[in-house]
Amino acid sequence: MGAQAHNEEVRKPKVKHDGPKRHIVAFIGSLVLTALAFIAVAYEAIPSGFTVPFIVALAFVQAFFQLYVWMHMDQKGHEFARISIFAGLFVIMMAIIVFIFWVWI
Amino acid sequence: MSAHASHAPNRSGLWDYLTTVDHKKIAILYLIAGGIFFLAGGLEALLIRLQLMYPEIEFVGAKTFNELITMHGTTMIFLAVMPIIFALMNAIVPLQIGARDVAFPFVNALGFWLFFFGGVLLNTSWFLGGAPDAGWTSYTTLALNQYSGRGVDFYVLGLQIAGLGTLIGGINFLVTIINMRAPGMTFMRMPMFTWASFITSGLILFAFPAITVGLVLLMFDRLFGGNFFNPDAGGNVVIWEHLFWIFGHPEVYILILPAFGIISEVVSTFSRKRLFGYSSMVFATALIGFLGFMVWAHHMFTTGLGAIANTLFGLATMLIAVPTGIKIFNWLLTMWGGQIRFPTANLFAVGFIPTFTIGGMTGVMLAVPPADYQYHDSYFVVAHFHYVIVGGLVFGLFSGLYYWWPKMFGKMLNETIGKWNFWTFFIGFHLTFFPQHFLGLMGMPRRVFTYLKDQNLDMGNFISTIGAFGMTIGTILFVINVFVAAKSSKRAPADPWDGRSLEWAIPSPPPEYNFVQTPLVRGLDALWVEKMAGNKGMTPAEPIGDIHMPSPSFLPFLMSLGLFVAGYGFIYHNYVVVVIGILATLACMFTRSVKDDPGYHIHEDELEEKGVKA
Amino acid sequence: MANHHAHAVLPDEPEKATLEGKNKVLGFWLFLGGETVLFGSLFATFIALRDQANGGPTSQALFDMNLVAVATLLLLTSSMTSVMATLALHKKDLKKIQLWLTITVILGLGFLALEIYEFVHYVNEGLKMSTSAFSSAFYTLVGFHGAHVAFGICWIILLQLSATKKGLTVVTAPKFYLASLYWHFIDVVWVFIFTVVYLMGMIGGKVG
Repeated sequence: MGAQAHNEEVRKPKVKHDGPKRHIVAFIGSLVLTALAFIAVAYEAIPSGFTVPFIVALAFVQAFFQLYVWMHMDQKGHEFARISIFAGLFVIMMAIIVFIFWVWI
Repeated sequence: MSAHASHAPNRSGLWDYLTTVDHKKIAILYLIAGGIFFLAGGLEALLIRLQLMYPEIEFVGAKTFNELITMHGTTMIFLAVMPIIFALMNAIVPLQIGARDVAFPFVNALGFWLFFFGGVLLNTSWFLGGAPDAGWTSYTTLALNQYSGRGVDFYVLGLQIAGLGTLIGGINFLVTIINMRAPGMTFMRMPMFTWASFITSGLILFAFPAITVGLVLLMFDRLFGGNFFNPDAGGNVVIWEHLFWIFGHPEVYILILPAFGIISEVVSTFSRKRLFGYSSMVFATALIGFLGFMVWAHHMFTTGLGAIANTLFGLATMLIAVPTGIKIFNWLLTMWGGQIRFPTANLFAVGFIPTFTIGGMTGVMLAVPPADYQYHDSYFVVAHFHYVIVGGLVFGLFSGLYYWWPKMFGKMLNETIGKWNFWTFFIGFHLTFFPQHFLGLMGMPRRVFTYLKDQNLDMGNFISTIGAFGMTIGTILFVINVFVAAKSSKRAPADPWDGRSLEWAIPSPPPEYNFVQTPLVRGLDALWVEKMAGNKGMTPAEPIGDIHMPSPSFLPFLMSLGLFVAGYGFIYHNYVVVVIGILATLACMFTRSVKDDPGYHIHEDELEEKGVKA
Repeated sequence: MANHHAHAVLPDEPEKATLEGKNKVLGFWLFLGGETVLFGSLFATFIALRDQANGGPTSQALFDMNLVAVATLLLLTSSMTSVMATLALHKKDLKKIQLWLTITVILGLGFLALEIYEFVHYVNEGLKMSTSAFSSAFYTLVGFHGAHVAFGICWIILLQLSATKKGLTVVTAPKFYLASLYWHFIDVVWVFIFTVVYLMGMIGGKVG
């Protein structure tokens, strides 16, 4: 335990700290994606049958944007973070698909 | 073991155990609590069998019978075998990876106390107006207010609290195994039991939230007028079935994978050979864990989901037979040509293999949807899942307990009593459950409290009950064995079985810091590698130095107690009690967050005094 | 371990400087994986029940796009400000951390106030927990999220207060980092809530 912590102190190359720039880009991106979704619904900008897949897709894009940029899931050392989130998503996407088609309504 | 240090906690007896954060002591707590619940669940099983011994008798009656089957299933799954698995994981996994402790000792203790109080809450229902009686699956609408009494509230609250404990326990083990391995202990050098614990913890992480949600929804329906499962207001009962089995099916792999791990360790040690096909074993374990999430609807073939759903889920279910088959052949090939010894641990392991295979085969039979329409809700299903859970998991647990008892307690279990334990339990088990296959095929439905005479069900049921006595005797022999071992003055050696993995490199029982020096791992079967190289023990990976230990804490107990109290508040609609309980829990969380735990150090001269080597 | 770091210069990425810190970050990510399943189960239930109004108010009749848009803006911005706090953490600047977190908390409180207002409004419109399967599913899913927001606000305030005493150390740094991860996660969940619950709930109204 101790040994590992000490090794860690003599850090290899410093992690490159990104400035606020890419986070602000992510913020603006999120705003745009959100606005697109709201506009699509509010003004019926696209054919109605296509609206649901479109806004759900936007939600996924925005979610991954935030997970990767804001929560640093793209960085090294986040392998298990990725595994964890994707495994959870996998489990629940199957459940949601089943809930859409096979609950007897 | 009294460590004088910065804040040397000098505690003893009960207070020590109430405040401990040491994984080895938490293991003992899990074992005691799980063992007591196991005896309670076993007693319930015996009463069930006595009621069914002869046709048309009124031994316990229909209402009590419903409560007994519900509590038997719930207790055994959530409060008996899971905690005993956690006992072995706690006792062994940190030792097998060469760690001094788990990643979150405090959370580990909290997990235990949550499970404990959840279990106690559930079981107090017996004395407070009747136990839950809607079956261990608590299907709605049966489990709604109109059809079930207050007992189901105990089920809902008790399982939520216990489930929370299991969930954080799972996270703790995942982080422990990922982050706390000794130098050289790569993933592909981890013993199979550690691997199985790793995958099992992962399954816990992704399966338990589903049941938590299901229970919360059921609670809202029962206590706050929700309409999730109320068809009159647009609710849908199938949602409960889905949520329950999204959790429920991974749950059976949560149970059986650690047993696979134990069997792998025991078979390899007592064949004096390395495990045959280690990497395929790891692969098979991971694959079972993965597939385990895609098969839950095979519990619902007769619900009416339609041909497409049934076909997909049936196929996925049959696929699981492939990695399971890999495992069975690997165990057989491990024994092939080995120098096999048969102490009790290995008897249970070898008894496990054919028994589990039978359970697996009936599983594949059940996976065929058209055939399942025949088997569904009959004693065939009861026979199937007892073959995998008792014949698989409980055999595995007995094997593991005989194998690791010296490491956990520093005493050997008596082999003579052990052999009697095995044979009575083994024969009793097959007598009990083998006839149930045929009872089911002849049309006996499960969960009925009695049956008519002369329908070819009399003999099978009678034999089954006789078998239950055999299992009872086996279990009592085990309890006697525990007391005999505790009384005996002979101390167990560090390595009684000529072991292969790291836990056998340190004394039995291990000192609280486990390893004086973190060991350097140089291959699979770390200790065996050193033995073959002619070394006396492990090569240390660090110089001797002070060892930092976490401080004991009473907060986990109090935190869980708060939720326990709040649980009663919910059940009796007394929201003052709910608020008091939850505030108590929040206050403990607050204290934990604000007050840093500096821990304490055990000084290196003290380690030397003990003369303990890594 | 904690003690001997305290007086030394704070290392790079202080949240992962100790084994305890690393364990916490990893454990928290795993916890978030579990939370994914938790919220996912609630979403699945909501999707299955969202049209079962049982004669009570429907989503199309109730939802107000402006309110949702403002709530979304508040929460999204608060996620942004908590990212700023993490950046300040990497620069080891406690003052900036406190500043950004204070803004985060204020935005979070605004979000929570809107949600409470919204719930009260719906109850007055006749949508109670017991009205229909839709109402139960709606209040449970959105309420669960709201409870997460409330817990997050309390947690961040607690961390801020205790950091004024303890300063920024290898013990407090992981806590800030985790709180920030938690806050982002809540925002990610909200992205799906405004899409699946609100926007999809309003579409039907226009079509039908």
